[in-house]
Amino acid sequence: MKSEGFKRHGSNSYVAEFAENEREILINLTEQIIELLAERIDHGQEDPLAAMVGITSHDSPPEDEVLHRLLPNAYQDEVDSAEFRRYTESTLRSKKQAHAMAMRMYLKSAEDGTVDLEHDGANAWLGAINDMRLALGVRLNVQERSQDELELLAPDDPMRGVYIVYGWLGWLQEGLIEALMDEN
Amino acid sequence: MMVKTDTHIEEQIGEIFSSDAPWVTIVWDDPVNLMTYVTYVLMELFGYPKAKAQELMMKVHTEGKAVVSTGSREEMEHDVARLHEYGLWATLQRGDQAI
Repeated sequence: MKSEGFKRHGSNSYVAEFAENEREILINLTEQIIELLAERIDHGQEDPLAAMVGITSHDSPPEDEVLHRLLPNAYQDEVDSAEFRRYTESTLRSKKQAHAMAMRMYLKSAEDGTVDLEHDGANAWLGAINDMRLALGVRLNVQERSQDELELLAPDDPMRGVYIVYGWLGWLQEGLIEALMDEN
Repeated sequence: MMVKTDTHIEEQIGEIFSSDAPWVTIVWDDPVNLMTYVTYVLMELFGYPKAKAQELMMKVHTEGKAVVSTGSREEMEHDVARLHEYGLWATLQRGDQAI
């Protein structure tokens, strides 16, 4: 990985340069997130009027563990949670997709690898990167494994590459936050 | 004539008319979310100064959870939805309920 991450330029500009392989990895991840979030979009059996105002027949949490982490319960109580989910899940799904789509647009148009974000764009990037980290974190079982265990993954472990990307995304996110919080 | 209602209905009606029954939004610890990210999201969404956001983040980190906002049920549902949008693990509940 070559990029030096995001640096603040002036009052509302956060700039990073990405190598072509880095740009490709990030574009690929945005597309995976967009696709994953589309999985629960309902087919046919919906009341079209209800669907139009964002009400779905879903009131149970997603079975897929990754999707469940991206679309969590709002109440500890299952009944309240189901009711809330029915009225809000599709909105949450589209907001998360919008973050990933915005990030993808920035990357697609950055043919020379230079990305220049303003404040709102930066927030979309942070949200999208965080969803990627949550998704990869579930697959890596970060919940159960210690940092040391992850660091010690064998070079030929298929999860090794995932862990490197997960760590790199954290570093990228941290740098962007530091640039945003830098008041000077 | 007196209408006999069970206590559950009375409680529900009481809840509707009572303006001082606060609800709370709780953020739970998560091994993936970076500490700086949790701080930043609390500053952005709630307009908290950095010191307050950091204090709440540390509480989440060390105690496993923290109440990050208080208000009506509707307001807390809005807060939870915004926290979920940014990937924080949040739930809401009545303020007088054991966390």
